[in-house]
Amino acid sequence: MKSAQVIMDTGAHAAALAVKSARVDVIPGYPITPQTSIMEALSAMVENGELHARFIPVEGEHSSMAAAVAASAAGARVFTATSANGLLYMHEVLHMASGGRLPVVMCNVNRGIFAPWTLWADHQDSFSQRDTGWIQYHCSSNQEVFNTILQAFRVAEQINIPVMVNFDGFAISHCLMPLTLPPQEDIDRFLPPHEPEWRLDPAQPSSFSNVTNAPEYAPFRQMLSDDIIAAIPLVKQAAQEYKDITGMWDGDTIDTYRLEDAEVVAFAVNSMAAELRLSIDILREQGIKAGLLRPRLYLPFPTEDIISALPQNAQVMVLDRNYNFGHPGGILASELKSVLFGRRNDITVKNRVIGIGGIDLTRRFMAAEIRAMMDE
Amino acid sequence: MLELRINGFGGQGSVTLAHLLAQAALEKGEQGQALPFFGVERRGAPVRAAVRMSPTTIHAHSQCELPDYVVVMSEKLTKEAVNEGITKFGTVIINAPQAVAVENHPTWQVDADAIAREAGLFSADGPFINIPLFGAVCRVLNIPQNIMEQTILNKWPGNNGERNLGAAGKAYNTVTQIRG
Repeated sequence: MKSAQVIMDTGAHAAALAVKSARVDVIPGYPITPQTSIMEALSAMVENGELHARFIPVEGEHSSMAAAVAASAAGARVFTATSANGLLYMHEVLHMASGGRLPVVMCNVNRGIFAPWTLWADHQDSFSQRDTGWIQYHCSSNQEVFNTILQAFRVAEQINIPVMVNFDGFAISHCLMPLTLPPQEDIDRFLPPHEPEWRLDPAQPSSFSNVTNAPEYAPFRQMLSDDIIAAIPLVKQAAQEYKDITGMWDGDTIDTYRLEDAEVVAFAVNSMAAELRLSIDILREQGIKAGLLRPRLYLPFPTEDIISALPQNAQVMVLDRNYNFGHPGGILASELKSVLFGRRNDITVKNRVIGIGGIDLTRRFMAAEIRAMMDE
Repeated sequence: MLELRINGFGGQGSVTLAHLLAQAALEKGEQGQALPFFGVERRGAPVRAAVRMSPTTIHAHSQCELPDYVVVMSEKLTKEAVNEGITKFGTVIINAPQAVAVENHPTWQVDADAIAREAGLFSADGPFINIPLFGAVCRVLNIPQNIMEQTILNKWPGNNGERNLGAAGKAYNTVTQIRG
């Protein structure tokens, strides 16, 4: 048996290596900072023969997702990547991928949204795509990006729903860290070839996504809504089996740190949630029983796992790196409150918006924020 | 966890220096992280990069606001770099022919420009100071010279590696502590 290999690589390149080891067939691509290095790496792998896939350069992200939809409907395993305004430009076609029940996997490298222009991380882009019917993971390390892309293909192809794998621009995408690459045969065992139940085939012409009347349309939408929720056990199963095969674990729908006896719980996603572990240690040293709950899955929102993981009477400090316009705070806080309402009345939820447009989130700053929130 | 910040100007090779240091950590069996700060990228603008080394998994993903070590790629930046943040008794490593020690901080000096030029490591834009600085920082961090050399050879197999080894080795052996 071959053993795993450890290399040093960036988050963006870790994503490209995962896509390569997933043996994808088609990669439509359009560059946008800070995602560009994923597409550069993949196009180079296709060019030099390391990856037997078709790379389709397109003139914009709307076309990128349109090409992904078409290739997926033809039965291919498809990957693309984008960021910020590129994701927004795809918005219409994201609905086509989910409504068409096409298991496309896409990385979104989180970045703040124009206007004004910014290049650095926040989470307005992915959270603003909540209602497109895509499953969304949010990752907090380079290794988790690699692991999650493989889990995403499995879940997507099991339930025919596209999956978005999100991670922070620069803080992850351009951060060089050790990366463990499991042997290819282990990955092949975890992720067998894609065998769709149905595909567009010129030899047997058929039409796809025709106009429907309400009696046909409504059940399609209901089925999509039900199946997105039904993805939760598949997400857990994928995480568990990935662990059984590779030994690596990033959490399933949620990830926790020092949560069991916590009275104060930090709640956040992505790289800031990794840094928050250090903030939790600082708070513990100050005598505060602090812990972390990181939803790894944003959509479907892991309601039951959050409800059962939160300790009794906890104060939950939601640190949002986005705005919920029209409300005084962020989107995660709003989601959390809606699932706790009527079920966990012992929990207090407090919220701050921090780190917008890449403002540096240090362990000391976030520990101080949480302390200040305790007095509010 | 050891934290180090590199302060330099765009074009001086700070990102490659950060990568080399993170790779050296892995080479000696630890975890390493290089996290450059990408500003509005242009040659000559002040740049910085964070480097971390730890025997255990690194969870931090912020820039190093209070590092244990500050590497100053250009003497002119010394004051600004130190004022940006360093631990109380943190160490400063300055690239200069002759540096003035930083008050209250252990200070090391290396003439990376001269070492790079002497080794033929320069282009029309100036000397490749990150190679000698890598050697100097490894010495200050007590990273064994063979680990430093192996990191360079892994990155540049062949002739370039050999040339870089000479410059890095010279810096490793000539970097001088000017304040304890």
